[in-house]
Amino acid sequence: MSDQHDHPHDHDHEHDHDHGHDHGHEHHHEHAHPAPAAPEMAPQEDSSSRALAEALGSSFGIVKWVMGILFLLFLGSGVFRVQQGQRAVLLRFGKPVGLGNQALIGPGIHWGWPYPIDEVVKIHYAQLQTVKSDVGWYNTTPEKEALDQEDYAGPSLNPAVDGYAITGDGNIIHTRAVLTYQIEDPVRYEFEFTSASNAVRDALDNALLFAAARFRVDDVLTRDITRFQDVVTARVTDLVQRENLGVVIQSCQVESRPPRYLKPAFDSVLTALAERDKAIHEAESYQNQTLYRAAATAAGVTNTAEADRVQLVESVKAEAQRFTDLLPRYNANPAVFANILLLDKIGRVLTNVEDKIYLPERADGKTRELRLQLSREPLKPVGTP
Amino acid sequence: MKRNPLTLVIAGFLLIVFIALLFFGQVRQSTVVVVTTFGKATRTIDQPGWYAKLPWPIQQSYVFDQRVQNFEDDKFDQSLTADNYNLLSMVYVGWKINNATNFFPKFANGSIAEAEKQLKPLLRSAKNSVVGGHPLADFVSTDEKQLKFGTIEQEILKRVQDQVNQKNWGIEIEFLGIKKLGFPDSVTQAVFKRMTSERAVLSSATQAEGESEASKIRTAADSKSTEIVNSASAAATHIKAEGQAEAAKSFAVFEENPQLANFLLSLDAMELALKDRTTLIFDQHSEPFNLFQGYSTNLLNPVKK
Repeated sequence: MSDQHDHPHDHDHEHDHDHGHDHGHEHHHEHAHPAPAAPEMAPQEDSSSRALAEALGSSFGIVKWVMGILFLLFLGSGVFRVQQGQRAVLLRFGKPVGLGNQALIGPGIHWGWPYPIDEVVKIHYAQLQTVKSDVGWYNTTPEKEALDQEDYAGPSLNPAVDGYAITGDGNIIHTRAVLTYQIEDPVRYEFEFTSASNAVRDALDNALLFAAARFRVDDVLTRDITRFQDVVTARVTDLVQRENLGVVIQSCQVESRPPRYLKPAFDSVLTALAERDKAIHEAESYQNQTLYRAAATAAGVTNTAEADRVQLVESVKAEAQRFTDLLPRYNANPAVFANILLLDKIGRVLTNVEDKIYLPERADGKTRELRLQLSREPLKPVGTP
Repeated sequence: MKRNPLTLVIAGFLLIVFIALLFFGQVRQSTVVVVTTFGKATRTIDQPGWYAKLPWPIQQSYVFDQRVQNFEDDKFDQSLTADNYNLLSMVYVGWKINNATNFFPKFANGSIAEAEKQLKPLLRSAKNSVVGGHPLADFVSTDEKQLKFGTIEQEILKRVQDQVNQKNWGIEIEFLGIKKLGFPDSVTQAVFKRMTSERAVLSSATQAEGESEASKIRTAADSKSTEIVNSASAAATHIKAEGQAEAAKSFAVFEENPQLANFLLSLDAMELALKDRTTLIFDQHSEPFNLFQGYSTNLLNPVKK
């Protein structure tokens, strides 16, 4: 207690300093703290009043610090983070800072004034967005599709549940599409439409109907699948451009099916198509075989003819050559030469002849009588027992 | 007194904020603000940024979304086409507030949902009257020239827009498209029956087509093959004839001595004739067996040479 008595003036001095400050502070907080008189009277009061004044003074000090910290926190609350795949637009008093794509803030840590001065609007900016259209698809769920379970398909379609498209030839098909697109103008995409992605999906729904309305059922399902898809893509591209959605179409995958109730009927056509193709392929293979065979026969015939020709020409040539060789000798002595040739030939011929029968003259000088039995038993081939 | 300036700055700042809240408002991007003075719309601000106003209760601000709203007509309405087909149709609409001053007194607190509720019957009547003015072939046809898909959408849009303008709703229809087209249940059944019979026809036609195509190919193959063989035979005959003609040139040599030629040819012919399994019977007058006359067997030698 004596220590406290020893330094009252010092304390007062200090207090005076604080007092000035507190005064300002008081003014500021007049509305909030309706007890302004206490510090004013403090110097004249006794020690308990001084203690109260001290306590008040230090609590104001704390309030000041808290305010300072709150102000810093207020400024700090303007720090925001833009994640990968996101962009942000800073609105200052509601107006984007920057024009068009320049207004976009990339991924990272950024700072803006806290609300209500600045407002950060984050935009989903993944490279590709996807929308699906199943307005033309029958009533099913992804779970059922995953399990390959399908409800019973009745002999008619209920327009309230079953989606389908009408084809140009007045038939019914199921068709759906998956569209991927890129946001080309994120500011427009975000600020001009409550839901630009829904608008893209509506355009896709419309494109499917639009395309189906001009195709034959068989073209959509089998013959012209690609062109059907192209028409859908072209239409949806046209629509998003016309509606100025700020997106660019990347790709569009279309899937179509006949009504489930008619599956057997469509399958029978597919079977018939397969059978037709099979019959044609078989005929084509017969055609190939026949033509190859004919070509082989033809080659054989002409080759034989060619060989015969060569052989004939060559043999005649050889004959002529022999004749030319023999002629001078023949001319020298025709009778003798002919005889030599003849005997030579007979000799050679006789070696070939199987049976040679010589009939000597009978003693009386008359020719012997010879009897021949025709159609004799054929000889057995050589080497057989 | 050293901490005075900071206190003053903070106080001043809070004062400014307080006054700003009373006397200024901001228009956010994509919104429009209507300021009323004693309940009467006096200003419309559609550019983003801040604006000055008198504090409540003198002036009050109403904020409206200026973005394009997607609205789908949720009922699959049935209407009769010009050629008496029952056609169900559903459309989607992109609309936005284009005049907030006109818009906000028309619907409870300027509610978007309320506006869409009011828009629905307009859409329905426009749709029905336009569908009724077109035959089914304008909606679906394999003949591109006949299709009026886009025209129909434009007609509906125009009708809706005209109605909206007439009622002074402060709404603008940005785009409109058909989202769904369909037939009533009973019609789909009839379509299914027709499709089934069409499939049956197509199936048998395809089969017949396959058979006829295959038989065409086979017949063509056969006739082509005959043709190939025949032409080869003709070519062979030609080749042989050529050979004979060529050979005939060599025969000219024989004319030098027809006697010898005949003799040589006869010899060859004889050799050829006696080639296989022949039996020759001679008597002693035929050469060279005349040598046997008198049985002088030693004379056989020249014959055997």
